[in-house]
Amino acid sequence: MEFTRDIYWNVGHGAWTLIPMYLLAAGAFYVLVKAFVKRVAVYRLGLPLERTDQPGVRLRRMFARMLSQKKVIRVQWPGLLHGLFFWGFGLLFIGTVLIVIQADFTDLFFGVKFLKGSFYKIFSIVLDLAGFVCIVMLGGLLVRRYFFPPEGLETKKDDAIMHAILLVILVTGFVIEGARMAVTELGTPLAAWSPVGLVIANGMSGIGEQSLLGLHKGTWWLHLFLVMGFFVLIPFTKFRHILTTSANYFFEDLGPRGKLVNIDLEDEDAETFGAAVLKEMTWKDIFDADACTLCKRCQDRCPAYNTGKPLSPMKLVNQIGEAAFTSPDANLIELIGKDVLWSCTTCRACEEICPASIEHVSKIVELRRSMVLMEGDFPGEEVMSAMEAAEVNGNPLGIGYAERGEWAEKLGIKSLAEDSEVDALYFVGCYGSFDRRNIAVAESFVKLCQTAGVKLGILGKEEKCCGEPMRKMGNEYLYQSLAVENIERINSYGVKKIVTTCPHCYNTLAKDYRDLDLDVEVITYTVFLENLIKSGELKINAEDISCTYHDSCYLGRYNDIYDAPRSLIAAAGGTLVEMGKNREESFCCSAGGGRIMAEEKIGERINIERVKMAVETGADVLLSNCPFCLTMFEDGVKGAEVEEQLRPRDIAELLVDRIEYTNPGKREKK
Amino acid sequence: MKILVCIKQVPDMESKFKIDAGGTWYEKTDLAWRMNEYDEYAVEQAVQLKEQVKDADLTVLCIGGDQVKETIKKALAMGCDRGAHIADDDSSSKEPFEKAGIIAEYAKDKGFDLIFTGMQSQDKGSAQVGILAAEILGMMSVSTIVDFSYSDGVASLKRELEGGVKACVTASTPLVVTCQLGLNTPRYPTLPNIMKAKRKELLSLPVADLLKVDSRQETAKIYFPEKKGGGLVLEGEVAELADKLVKILKEKTGVLA
Amino acid sequence: MKILLVAEYRDKKLLGSCNELIAFSDQMDCESVMCLVGSESDLPRFNGTLYLADVENYGEYNPDAHKQFVLDVVEKEQADMVVFSHSSYGWDLAPRVAFAMKAAQVSEVVEVVDGIPVVPVCNAKLRRDVHVKTEQSVVTIQAGAFGLSEDPTGTPTVEKIAGDTAGRVDFIGYEQAESGGVDLGKAQIIVSAGRGIGKPENVGMIANLAKVLGGEYGASRPVVDSEWVEHNRQVGTTGQTVTPKLYVACGISGAIQHLAGMKKSEFIVAVNTDKDAPIGEVADVLIVADLKQFIPALTEKIQSL
Repeated sequence: MEFTRDIYWNVGHGAWTLIPMYLLAAGAFYVLVKAFVKRVAVYRLGLPLERTDQPGVRLRRMFARMLSQKKVIRVQWPGLLHGLFFWGFGLLFIGTVLIVIQADFTDLFFGVKFLKGSFYKIFSIVLDLAGFVCIVMLGGLLVRRYFFPPEGLETKKDDAIMHAILLVILVTGFVIEGARMAVTELGTPLAAWSPVGLVIANGMSGIGEQSLLGLHKGTWWLHLFLVMGFFVLIPFTKFRHILTTSANYFFEDLGPRGKLVNIDLEDEDAETFGAAVLKEMTWKDIFDADACTLCKRCQDRCPAYNTGKPLSPMKLVNQIGEAAFTSPDANLIELIGKDVLWSCTTCRACEEICPASIEHVSKIVELRRSMVLMEGDFPGEEVMSAMEAAEVNGNPLGIGYAERGEWAEKLGIKSLAEDSEVDALYFVGCYGSFDRRNIAVAESFVKLCQTAGVKLGILGKEEKCCGEPMRKMGNEYLYQSLAVENIERINSYGVKKIVTTCPHCYNTLAKDYRDLDLDVEVITYTVFLENLIKSGELKINAEDISCTYHDSCYLGRYNDIYDAPRSLIAAAGGTLVEMGKNREESFCCSAGGGRIMAEEKIGERINIERVKMAVETGADVLLSNCPFCLTMFEDGVKGAEVEEQLRPRDIAELLVDRIEYTNPGKREKK
Repeated sequence: MKILVCIKQVPDMESKFKIDAGGTWYEKTDLAWRMNEYDEYAVEQAVQLKEQVKDADLTVLCIGGDQVKETIKKALAMGCDRGAHIADDDSSSKEPFEKAGIIAEYAKDKGFDLIFTGMQSQDKGSAQVGILAAEILGMMSVSTIVDFSYSDGVASLKRELEGGVKACVTASTPLVVTCQLGLNTPRYPTLPNIMKAKRKELLSLPVADLLKVDSRQETAKIYFPEKKGGGLVLEGEVAELADKLVKILKEKTGVLA
Repeated sequence: MKILLVAEYRDKKLLGSCNELIAFSDQMDCESVMCLVGSESDLPRFNGTLYLADVENYGEYNPDAHKQFVLDVVEKEQADMVVFSHSSYGWDLAPRVAFAMKAAQVSEVVEVVDGIPVVPVCNAKLRRDVHVKTEQSVVTIQAGAFGLSEDPTGTPTVEKIAGDTAGRVDFIGYEQAESGGVDLGKAQIIVSAGRGIGKPENVGMIANLAKVLGGEYGASRPVVDSEWVEHNRQVGTTGQTVTPKLYVACGISGAIQHLAGMKKSEFIVAVNTDKDAPIGEVADVLIVADLKQFIPALTEKIQSL
């Protein structure tokens, strides 16, 4: 027997089939395209943004992400269901395309058929299983949404329509196959190559042939209408994500992660700064809403949302899109709410997990820029004071700038003004210079470097705040003033390498400062120390300590530095018990986004939540790599009343206690 | 309406001070500079008045060397229309009467309806300049205001007295008012205003042109006060410690006297 | 030298600052007279001539009228130095008088050494000696700088004076302080609770000590966060910045955000079991003890004074 089938069996391959079919298809595509063109006009309400450069790279990314479904499957439940559904549906789609190609082109015009023989057998079984998998997965997703919805999942009429139409398309597909097989394939060896269809065909065996033919034909046309309906629905429902989410992979930011757009402050014609209305946001800010499928993975991980603040990254993104389509002149700040906007810590948990590559953080900062730069608005007077303190004394703590390098004097570290021949500039940061708890960390780092024979210098009183908290709060002007001063000083000394103990300084100097002409290599102390240990210049004695480790947002998610700190802990002999939320899933300490300057007035304290997570590990020490985290945890252990159980420490402090001196007599123990 | 606000640039009080070579003032290096806090309230109130009246011109005046221009620019960025920089590299050795004389000389032919100043400066704290300038100009003055409203040539003011009490008074313009902390919330300059400020008029006038009075006092010597038992660490029996502390409080502070 | 002391009467009461003026003149040890716009029913206990203008005629403080009154007395007595309190009355009236007298005014005098007035500079971080060039001078004295150890006793010889009561400022009324809302920024004495108090019940002993000292109680951030104390009592960069004469930090380790809010206090006492607590760096006195025992003992001691 020939392993093939007559494609238009029973339906007929004549004009009465082809013309309505192609007309419907053309009509459906026309509606689809027209609707999208209208949507594009709305995206264009926003400012231009270059996201089509390096098209080769972008296309590769897009196909890789789409086909692998990697971002979706990352959260296995229900990601895996969607992944399998996607692949199944993809196979069905390819299958249908192959059928169209043969039936309406190669066979029709050239008499060439390829859906036969072994190829057809594989074709048949693959599509059968794909269809079955799709139904099962879709069923699973439906049951989850309608019977066991997780908290925070919004279900709308949109969802019901989508589930229904897909389910009916899939089921009618099998009805068509079953009916056909019941008439043409039962009892033949080919039937085994459509196992699911076979089951259905057997179930239909009691129905008379005339009825089967009628059922087959009717269901075939129904199926066609539904598929055309599906195409039409794409732009009007969440189905649009098939195109928009894929496109969002293409439009991803290829630049350094988490680097904000620089405002040109020299531009004399600029009348507004930041964004308060849609036409001041970019087209991407509007488009992101279309790419969103409301999966709420961002919301689930947002430290603000999960401690009672009104910020939901998902909601915010969608409010912008909604405004674009319904009220384009709306003031977005009033629409979204100031408390919502101020609550963000820029931890990037939302962007990290988003399967649609949506950029939540830059929208929030752009709106903050408008509040600060256009209105002089801040989340509280304490933040305004911190900004003013930074203007006057170069640090938000308001301490006299002349004292900035004093902590280093007793260690013999000189400022570059005194001696600029150094191996590296240690950019200390405000907390390392002025806050007693963090000065201890700076001292530890210096001692480690000195032991390894590394000569460090500091800027001392010439160092100013890197400007990061101000920038994230929206005060671009103050940030650039501070940055320009720092860069001028750094460049004037011909510095070749900068090392930091603060991830915020690190991220800012390594990325943001590039826009302002800093070209020097910047390295974080965890990597720096790891290198010293690897090269043997720094020897550490392992000494057991039970500890857990908090991945800071700015070394972790912003820079993918997860392993270097862990190797340091291992070198120190630490028995590391990981918290559930670690690495990319780490839960922010709350001080990012400039919030180190602000009071937390709404909901529960984020830092106390994180400390509780650390306590659950049973470890004695909570290790971190950031002065903000350390400050928040010291506060947090007091707030959670666990001072006896858990001690916050920086990794540098752990290491400095374990230095192996070549002269054993010098050993100090703390 | 014509409004004048007089401000001073002072060092940030967080700075560590040193005595200068002459021994009569603090050393000016290694200091962070800012607008006198009391003057911030004065500028804010002056700008609010301008916004209320609409047809008003607001001048900000500051005496000092070139570096005070930064502070004048901040006032311009908060909303003043023009700046008058009285160029004086030796302003720190001038006493309140001389400063008042300079201001009065500047203001005398300009017909200001209202003159705002801070009630005192954070560094010197004499609390005299505003009222002295008014006296020289023959204008009425009200000091230490924590509330200001204006209507039709009459200012309604609240003066802050001791014990949280306020005195409500009214006075007609032309008037000098000196501002106390808490009068309002000084605005943070918006970026468009900071940029506009760069283009606003800022004239420098040599102080010699305006100093027509003689000084009536001067600083003979400046020095650090002796430390009041700095950093004393006490340990021991609780009852003994209580006794010791009470004695110290009596001797070193006005409390328990 | 002859000194004229200007006392203040406000809202039907003689202000206690007049005793400080008397203490000042005692210290200056020279002839002094006093003037007051006030009432016979509430006279300062000053041993000397008191020029009294009737507040019934003058009404509440009117700068022009009071200035004229003081100048009349200066003329009459040929006073060399006119002394005011450095108060809302003094710093308003003194410059007007000084101008009319063509005299230098020295503000907020904290001591007089060999006839030279000494005044604070830069939040009392520095001091300066003032050289007065004019023959006559006007001074305002800092509250508490010339404090008395005992109330003065004395009976003034009253000379009634009437003068021009015209003025360019109209007095409308007084607004009393709101009760309930605490403004630590204006408090002169603050006792603060830190994490070391252990539990919320112990806030009471801190508040009690504050009351007994005549001040307010505040707290560091962790205590406010734990909601043991309301937020408007928080001292620190994200709470209030305070500048009291006396700050007692109980069980506060001295995190930088807290220090920034209180280190401008004139006199700082810290109570902490940790001798190395950072607060020790700004404290004038560090009591190394368990506050739960020390604070009640201190409170009792003060109450028994």
